[in-house]
Amino acid sequence: MVSNVGNSTNILWHDCPIQKRDRQQLLQQRGCVVWLTGLSGSGKSTLACALSRSLHARGKLTYILDGDNVRHGLNRDLSFRAEDRSENIRRIGEVAKLFADAGLICITSLISPYQKDRDACRALVPEGDFIEVFIDVPLHVCEARDPKGLYKLARAGKIKGFTGIDDPYEPPSSCEIVLQQQQGNGFKSPCEMAEIVISYLEEKGYLRA
Amino acid sequence: MSTITNSTNIFWQECQIGKPDRQKLLNQKGCVVWITGLSGSGKSTLACSLGRELHTRGKLSYVLDGDNLRHGLNKDLGFKPEDRTENIRRTEVAKLFADAGLICVASLISPYRRDRDACRAMLPDANFIEVFMNMPLQLCEARDPKGLYKLARSGKIKGFTGIDDPYEPPLNCEIEIKQENGVCPTPTAMAGQVVSYLENKGFLRS
Repeated sequence: MVSNVGNSTNILWHDCPIQKRDRQQLLQQRGCVVWLTGLSGSGKSTLACALSRSLHARGKLTYILDGDNVRHGLNRDLSFRAEDRSENIRRIGEVAKLFADAGLICITSLISPYQKDRDACRALVPEGDFIEVFIDVPLHVCEARDPKGLYKLARAGKIKGFTGIDDPYEPPSSCEIVLQQQQGNGFKSPCEMAEIVISYLEEKGYLRA
Repeated sequence: MSTITNSTNIFWQECQIGKPDRQKLLNQKGCVVWITGLSGSGKSTLACSLGRELHTRGKLSYVLDGDNLRHGLNKDLGFKPEDRTENIRRTEVAKLFADAGLICVASLISPYRRDRDACRAMLPDANFIEVFMNMPLQLCEARDPKGLYKLARSGKIKGFTGIDDPYEPPLNCEIEIKQENGVCPTPTAMAGQVVSYLENKGFLRS
């Protein structure tokens, strides 16, 4: 009957008559997690917004879990030390799982530099419902953009353990979508990148119940 | 750029699609229905029947059950007072669901007034609806749906709410569910009470 999970003793899983498939029927879509990963300045937040705008225009319900925004609330007790980065990713993974179960297309946008942590989040949701998108932009391009001025601070030694400078980024070895911005002499726009993701979602049946 | 306690150098990322857009899509207003009460008072039962009633009206809701959360997001937490507080603090996730436009039904004992008030403070614009399952201890204990009161009485569980840990009832909640002439309302009737409230306050339209 009751069981113990982690540190939580004597808990019981409560089932409800309304399940994921009912919500998906209501929303005319299938819940999933679109996990955007990449260096700071690679364009994750920009892509997340473009995606949500495009999906909204198609009548689909999405929600963005942005690493910085979540660190304003749920994860405000966490720093950027390695163990806290892991916990940040774990909690966002668990919340994304809940949103996907609610029937939403949940877009997560955080550096999430460690493969092991991303894999642990993948394992939380049903097979196929975790769509890892690697925004593959070279470090020098990200650093040239430096949208938050953080690379400058990191190079000056004012921030320690900054991803790409003095903390590793482990690119995915095997993910569903790799987005590389360069296209001939130009760059793919956020909208063009969003359409690549949306085509994938459409093809796999996430944009219908 | 700001520093919020332990998170340094973070920025708030704005997006064009916001809560009003999602509410329009869903034809409802996002909010948190927070169900509080002793173990065995009927919180999970009400949460599920409320979810069903809302679904038949074409409204999107999601139940965050305390036990279910402790299977995932909160599996690193025990039942010590500081862990209970952190368990409730992390129910900030309910705020995210409300922001997404859903009617988020949170079902947790949430025994300490201070913690429930902190959740209320997290949600602006009166989008926090506290529902108190005001059922007497002896009724909850007689039900003992998970066998926990028995374990608590025999000292096998320590710090069990209602037995050797306090439950602080709300002083000012939006909805109170209680017995009428010693009879409990049915799950459907209880859900109906909450749905009427939501309807009157305009949550079931955008």
